[in-house]
Amino acid sequence: MWNRHREAILVALILVLIGSVCAGLRITYARRPVLAQGDTVWRLTYDISFPSLREGRIYAAIPDNAPQSRILRESFSHEGIWTDILRSTRTLGREAVIVPVVGYKQGRFIAEFDVHLKPDRESESPPPKVKLTAEETAHYLRAEGAIQLNSPPVLDILTRLKSAQPTKAKLLEGIFEYCSENILQRGESRPSDATGALQRGVGTPLGQARAMIALCRSAKIPARVVAGFPLRSSTDSRPHYWAEVFSRNAWRSYDVENGYSGALPITFLPIRRDGIQIVRAAGPLEYQARYSVRRILPRPTLVGLPVDGFWSIADLRRLPLSMQEILALLLLLPLGALITALFRNVIGLRTFGTFTPCLIALGFIQADWRTGVVVFFVVLGVGIFARLLLSKLRLLLVARLGIIVTMVVLCMISAVSILDFFGLTPSASAVLLPVVILTMMIERFNITAEEDGYLQAFKVLAGTLVVAICCFFVLRVGGLSRVVLTFPEVQLFVAAGLLMIGRYSGYRLTELWRFRDIVQS
Amino acid sequence: MRIVSQKSWAWPWELRRRGVLGVNERNLNYLFELNPRCLYRLADDKVVTKSICKRQGIPVPQTYAVIERFGELQRLSEIVGDREEFVVKPARGAGGRGILVIVGQQNALFRTAKGQTVSVDDLRYHISTILSGLYSLGGQPDRVIVEQRIVPHPLFDRLAVGGTPDMRIIVFRGSPMIAMLRLPTRASKGRANLHQGAAASGIELDTGRTFGGVCRDRAITVHPDTGAPIGGHTIPHWGKMLDAAKNLSESIGMGYIGVDIVLDAHQGPAVLEANTRPGLSVQIANRAGLLPKLSIVSQPSLKQSQNRSFTSGAMAV
Repeated sequence: MWNRHREAILVALILVLIGSVCAGLRITYARRPVLAQGDTVWRLTYDISFPSLREGRIYAAIPDNAPQSRILRESFSHEGIWTDILRSTRTLGREAVIVPVVGYKQGRFIAEFDVHLKPDRESESPPPKVKLTAEETAHYLRAEGAIQLNSPPVLDILTRLKSAQPTKAKLLEGIFEYCSENILQRGESRPSDATGALQRGVGTPLGQARAMIALCRSAKIPARVVAGFPLRSSTDSRPHYWAEVFSRNAWRSYDVENGYSGALPITFLPIRRDGIQIVRAAGPLEYQARYSVRRILPRPTLVGLPVDGFWSIADLRRLPLSMQEILALLLLLPLGALITALFRNVIGLRTFGTFTPCLIALGFIQADWRTGVVVFFVVLGVGIFARLLLSKLRLLLVARLGIIVTMVVLCMISAVSILDFFGLTPSASAVLLPVVILTMMIERFNITAEEDGYLQAFKVLAGTLVVAICCFFVLRVGGLSRVVLTFPEVQLFVAAGLLMIGRYSGYRLTELWRFRDIVQS
Repeated sequence: MRIVSQKSWAWPWELRRRGVLGVNERNLNYLFELNPRCLYRLADDKVVTKSICKRQGIPVPQTYAVIERFGELQRLSEIVGDREEFVVKPARGAGGRGILVIVGQQNALFRTAKGQTVSVDDLRYHISTILSGLYSLGGQPDRVIVEQRIVPHPLFDRLAVGGTPDMRIIVFRGSPMIAMLRLPTRASKGRANLHQGAAASGIELDTGRTFGGVCRDRAITVHPDTGAPIGGHTIPHWGKMLDAAKNLSESIGMGYIGVDIVLDAHQGPAVLEANTRPGLSVQIANRAGLLPKLSIVSQPSLKQSQNRSFTSGAMAV
């Protein structure tokens, strides 16, 4: 007996080892696709020249990694100057510090940033939640030179808006709407400050942003200005300005000029926050800054073209997508078997059939689970009732099963049609609920009920459902199907787990309860 | 009276200390090790078991007929004849399922032990469901045994409700290990199967006296329906039963089986079947775990001689 235990453990260890090696090789040699379809790469170039170098230093705000924009590559070249990259608390991002090197008359700083934009495919991801300290809140509520808080037009307009919009969230929308409707971009000399823009009803984009910020700050809503570049090809890009407002625990972007409220398209690349200068000088240093943006074609290695040749057999993700979905489902089946084995052999729960719970769970994962549950219980209920009536007719086994399967199919079809009538069309995969499994479950439920009573039958049904629910929740864990598809060697770990359960000779959990009276006496 | 438990569960080490054998350990260390798969048919099919018993001179209920094909149902009346009492059972049934006990016949109508009246057609349908595999292990097509009805011994009058009690003896490597008297209850619908709610009392192997008791995995001392004490009775012909169990286990050649024996009021013990996966509630009935008893037989000094007799038994089949 012990030998077999040892053999099983040894085989399990070997399986785990092989699985780990396979997974390791895959991770090492797999070319992960860096760019997906729909992603774009833009090159932003800073060209800062210093006609006559003097004492002082220059701070240039540069782009940083963000959830939807990543710096793929950056390069700096400089002449007559010395630079360093640091994180700044002032611009809330990265900055290049530029210091003249003694002895040079002229200097030049060229920086290139390849920015990878990846649209969020999953859903509109909300901006990250942050908490503002009391200091920060005070900072973002302060008055500034061009953001006047107590000027008559600001107070006037705010009082009007406040009376129309009682809540803070509504007020914010009101402020945005007011600014986009009443501050126009006409005329030659447009003001860039809040009061001027509000008073005259015209303004530059910066003036519009500042007007909005002034109104927000007056209404005690923290707000700040953001400077950045819209990523569209241009040899002479100009910084664009918009407002960021702190609302519902997150900084949300508002662009009065373009009418974006709450969030900006990812092509607007923020560079500097709470300030308008991309490049600022400390000291009497003169400079000329030019910016350009152009779209570049990504290098083939970035796109992660599929590996050709024999070894591509090991890569299931090269298969057509519909095939991948089905394969992922198949690959989840052993995991379901592992869960079922755990429940039956270690916990000691009884179920109808070995694979029934797992297959039910997979059916629910394929279908929308709400429709699945409704259809499941209707089919089970009708089936059990029909089987009860059938037992009076005394039919032979195969014929009886045939009739139950007919009932189940009819039920399923009616349910789909009825749901569709009420506008709740279930997905086609809802029909994938294992018909045969349900039929056998109905038959076994009735036999158990007849032989061991309804109490026992419902107990086993409950056990089946408990295991099915567990399978459902484990198997639908996000990304699990992708993991089993990417790493089919995970199956070896599952097999090792099954081996261990298969040689588990300890008490089942339910036996601690079952045999308690022996200990008692 | 049911013994009220103070504990709601036992810790694994408590069970281990009492030597309780669990399902996993029984399967892995005893059934898989000692019961070769190829021998299962000898125990799973009662027609085969009966023929082995007959060859070995082990008493069994008299077989009236074995029905193997649907075609034979046409001459069912002929097979049954004018027998007043008989039992219809699936050859590969489990847990007493599909067994129909007829206790009287009048004008082609049969009275069952449960008091129902069935016609020849009803009987034919029942037999056909057995043949189609409704009650057999794994749903395989089955055979039907029509055999002598066992008249329960008067000793069991107040101990069994609605059915025939039987003795379950667990034989390990040719030695009886533990035994119980299984008593049908109302809940078990007359079947002597613990899973279906039957009660049982332990049996002292050397004296044949009953003690302890179990019902639905709880310790009891009296029959749940009649309230009669289930301990303190001496089973008649106990020695013969032990011999029959030993003999059958050796003939079948399996190392761990449960032998079910009934006691007929007139003819004495008769072996009903051998069970290749005997249940574990017998430990509760006996208030003792199986492991210490099994380990005595498994001791190395004994093992060799035991093994020899065990192997010779297997070869005799």
